[in-house]
Amino acid sequence: MSQHARSVSEQQFYLPSSGWWGNLRVIGLAVGVIAAAVSALLAAGNETQLYYSWLVAFLFFLSIGLGSLFFVLIHHASKAGWGIVVRRLAECTAACLPALLLLFVPVYLGRADLYHWTDAEAVAHDHVLQNKVAYLNVGGFVVRALVYFALWSFLALLFLRLSRRQDATADERLSRQMIRWSGPAILIFALTLTFASFDWIMSLDPHWYSTIFGVYFFAGSVVACFAFLSVITLTLQQAGCLRDVLTQEHFHDLGKLLFAFTVFWAYIAFSQFLLIWYGNLPEETSFFFGRLQGGWLAVSRLLAVGHFVIPFFFLMPRSVKRRRPLLLAGAAWMLLMHWLDLYWLVMPNLHGEGPRFSLLDLTCMLAVGGLFLAVLGTLLRSGALVPIRDPRLLESLSFENS
Amino acid sequence: MAQSSDNAYHDPLSGRAPLIVGGHDFHSLTEAVAAPLERKTPLGWWLFFIPSLAMLGLFGLSIGWLFWEGTGIWGLNNPVNWGFAIVNFVFWVGIGHAGTLISAILFLFRQKWRTSINRAAEAMTIFAVMCALTFPGIHVGRVWVAYWMFPLPNQMAMWPNFRSPLIWDVFAVSIYGTVSLMFWYVGLIPDLATVRDRAKTHLRRLIYGIFALGWRGSHRAWLHYERAYLLLAGLATPLVLSVHSVVSMDFAVAQLPGWHTTIFPPYFVAGAIFSGFAMVITLMVICRVAFKMEDIITVRHMENMAKITLLTGSMVGYAYGIEFFIAWYSSNPYEFGVFVNRAFGDYAWAYWIMVSCNVISPQIFWFKKARTTMAILFVVSIFVNIGMWFERFVIVASSLHHDFLPSSWDYYSATFWDFASLIGSFGLFFTMFCLFCRFLPMVATAEVKTVLPGADPHAGEERIRIEPGAATVRPATEGAG
Amino acid sequence: MAVIDLLVPKLPDTEVYGALARFPTTRALYRACEQVRDAGYTRWDAHTPFPVHGLERAMGLPSSKLPYIVLATGLGGAALGFLLQTWVHTSAYPLVISGKPLLAWPAFIPVTFELGVLGAALGAVIGMLALNKLPMYYHPLFRSRAFERVTDDGFFISIEAWDPRFDLDKTVALLRASGAEEVEIIPGERSAVAGGGAEVEGGRG
Repeated sequence: MSQHARSVSEQQFYLPSSGWWGNLRVIGLAVGVIAAAVSALLAAGNETQLYYSWLVAFLFFLSIGLGSLFFVLIHHASKAGWGIVVRRLAECTAACLPALLLLFVPVYLGRADLYHWTDAEAVAHDHVLQNKVAYLNVGGFVVRALVYFALWSFLALLFLRLSRRQDATADERLSRQMIRWSGPAILIFALTLTFASFDWIMSLDPHWYSTIFGVYFFAGSVVACFAFLSVITLTLQQAGCLRDVLTQEHFHDLGKLLFAFTVFWAYIAFSQFLLIWYGNLPEETSFFFGRLQGGWLAVSRLLAVGHFVIPFFFLMPRSVKRRRPLLLAGAAWMLLMHWLDLYWLVMPNLHGEGPRFSLLDLTCMLAVGGLFLAVLGTLLRSGALVPIRDPRLLESLSFENS
Repeated sequence: MAQSSDNAYHDPLSGRAPLIVGGHDFHSLTEAVAAPLERKTPLGWWLFFIPSLAMLGLFGLSIGWLFWEGTGIWGLNNPVNWGFAIVNFVFWVGIGHAGTLISAILFLFRQKWRTSINRAAEAMTIFAVMCALTFPGIHVGRVWVAYWMFPLPNQMAMWPNFRSPLIWDVFAVSIYGTVSLMFWYVGLIPDLATVRDRAKTHLRRLIYGIFALGWRGSHRAWLHYERAYLLLAGLATPLVLSVHSVVSMDFAVAQLPGWHTTIFPPYFVAGAIFSGFAMVITLMVICRVAFKMEDIITVRHMENMAKITLLTGSMVGYAYGIEFFIAWYSSNPYEFGVFVNRAFGDYAWAYWIMVSCNVISPQIFWFKKARTTMAILFVVSIFVNIGMWFERFVIVASSLHHDFLPSSWDYYSATFWDFASLIGSFGLFFTMFCLFCRFLPMVATAEVKTVLPGADPHAGEERIRIEPGAATVRPATEGAG
Repeated sequence: MAVIDLLVPKLPDTEVYGALARFPTTRALYRACEQVRDAGYTRWDAHTPFPVHGLERAMGLPSSKLPYIVLATGLGGAALGFLLQTWVHTSAYPLVISGKPLLAWPAFIPVTFELGVLGAALGAVIGMLALNKLPMYYHPLFRSRAFERVTDDGFFISIEAWDPRFDLDKTVALLRASGAEEVEIIPGERSAVAGGGAEVEGGRG
């Protein structure tokens, strides 16, 4: 026989009960709570900075969760085979979305600082904002937020539940059910993500608008998802799980998708920029005007180079995508760049002259991140890391790139 | 092109049926695809070819008359100074994109089912781009200086305006045509070699042999060939996105309400793929019956195309919705006015045709029965193409006729020559497609062979074995999460 | 150098070109390739109607260098495009258009990108043809009637006579032993000039 069969021990399908990953829920919870307390302390007298920093952190982990949900949905809709080994990790990441409702509360509390349209006084003197009152009002904002989280939670938990049930019953009908749900789920996903990005990011500057904005946030979320999946699978492998389950072939594919969506993000970002630059209409250029001056110009350039040019050439060669340390570095870099992208979207509304990095940026990331990872750790512990009875698991395990 | 087996025959999930049915082996597949080329021309072919040729004649006539009389023969006026020509251009470029999507993007996503239809789809792309490129060429008014579009050094020391999306179009669409042609030809080389080796007459062997470049099926050659194919697929994908984005920028860089909106690039790309897939469905429904290839272009292929049609149609519907919402949200009265006018103004009839054909009719594809019934596929695909033509018409005519100044408003009515150029362009397309079906292998034979069961040398070998774990294995908890 | 020299391979003047063996299945071909590779042959090739997955491993071939060529031509095309536009708009024919700066780099991106893709695509196609030494309309293997199946359903291995390990009897025996259904001796240049035909040694290996 020219090819030897690869054997995989079932032990690799489960999280170890000790170590960083095994204790992630406790570590995450501790870090999260402490960081939240520190943030609250630091923010005394400077709440505005807290709310802005918290918003960036919240959006970062929200985008990872939403991107992972998209991965699960599109995987089922396209009946893809290779990604089954990473699907459970994406399902668990998406299932952290319900917890983000709790982490949304500070955003709601900070609405007066974040969103100028909540100020009735300001609206009374601004006819543009008056025209938007039917959409930009606090009641609508809250109701929509609850609807988004309700739908996201429903979808994420549905897919995780069906998938976990298949672990126990090996029922093929569950696969078909998930495939049937994936179509309508994608529609719901697209609309909720778009309007959430309008509500939470675009309305930071309520005079500005862009029809592509939902797509822009979506592109960033998918990049973040693949980067995050790469990082957690590679670090899980270092902890001993999934060693023989995920091979170079799977990482090659994760790398390819990370590359492709990085290029897609750049395409969307550039389309938005080029059209607004070309038309030169003041109601649109206000977005870029501040971001291409002063301290923000350097950040914009860094974003263009770091979020596109560097990963474009770094992730292009086949050999990089197949070498674990290199892919890990690339994925970690993309997560950093995605954070910078969100920072660049949000912060110019607070600091017009240039970026003013504050300790709160770090503590808020630790707070939101710690709690997010705590939930993720709990979910990963409570079952297999891979859909062990998916009918096409063997196909995914033996997957080979051409 | 060779990819690892996806166990299509051993698939435990019955939703993925075998790709090629009818128990074909390599030789019978070669026979099925090459035999139509070697038979005498069937009567049915003439029944399609003669009317197509007549429409092509009409095209030639309308272009000739246009060059003689000028663009006044069309219904253009102020402010609607761009009419059928640009609509037809965008329409045909859009149709071309599905071919590249099937060839390149589905290849990158390892969707093996593409192998039955990609040859015909790529051919469709090239012919659609040919139709598309005629319109910018003929609609410029001073056709005798059309070469000014190209960066050629001249005695006036003038250069084209590279900052204009109209020049971006020239580069984008002609490069798209060139790359598609190369991609299609590279894919054809092994199949032309097949026809060459089967040729009974000296003339056939000579002609097919010249274009087959002496291909011998050497694996050292296949190695470079496959790498080139993968690279071309990887290049064609961003090319497709960029070409229709550039086409959309013809409109989006302007300041006209209804045109200037940032979502145009991805929205146009989704729309292009949508209309292109509809055209592929239309053509394949006919061809698979006419050339007796139902075993190779199976119901599963048609169903997958219907799903993509539904997906891209939903993207187009999403864009309509977001455009309308932001037009209101922007609190810009001109922007919102354009959208209200589209739905209820002078061109409301065109708008509602567009919405019912593009948004409503593809919804039937949520139902498996509709996706797998040829008659429904055919009818819906025609509706989608009509709807997508009207989408471009609505964008051009309704935005232009009702812009900022009421004193400028005017209605655009198409003349006989406008319609002649539209119908004539279909003549060009179908004439070329008929010739393609008659003289070239319609199915990418070498590629389809790679998805047959005998193609994988390692089929059936055990590749992976899961060993039961030790006592530390934690059982899966039911319904957790 | 005449054009005809590009289309026709330069072959040594021998009686025999080499041995051609046909195999019934891709699996048989794969195993046979491994055996030929392990026996130390270098001037040989496998011929199939479609690319057989993984055969380059069985043959011990290095991966293609085409990606480097394509990267170079792609970047070259893009650079050319950007430089052309920059030169035209800042030096050759500078015009202030819609109040934008002369070096309006955002507006230069589309053409730059398209020319980059064109350069890369031309590099891929022409590079592939050059690496494959195509077009090559004349090749000794076409002398074999059995070889016509190579574009239909035949899987072949050919070993050239000027391979250092080539020995007519031993090579034919190896091919038969590794599963060939038919082994054929392809006449060389000297023999073809004399109008010789091909000897077919049939029989299952």
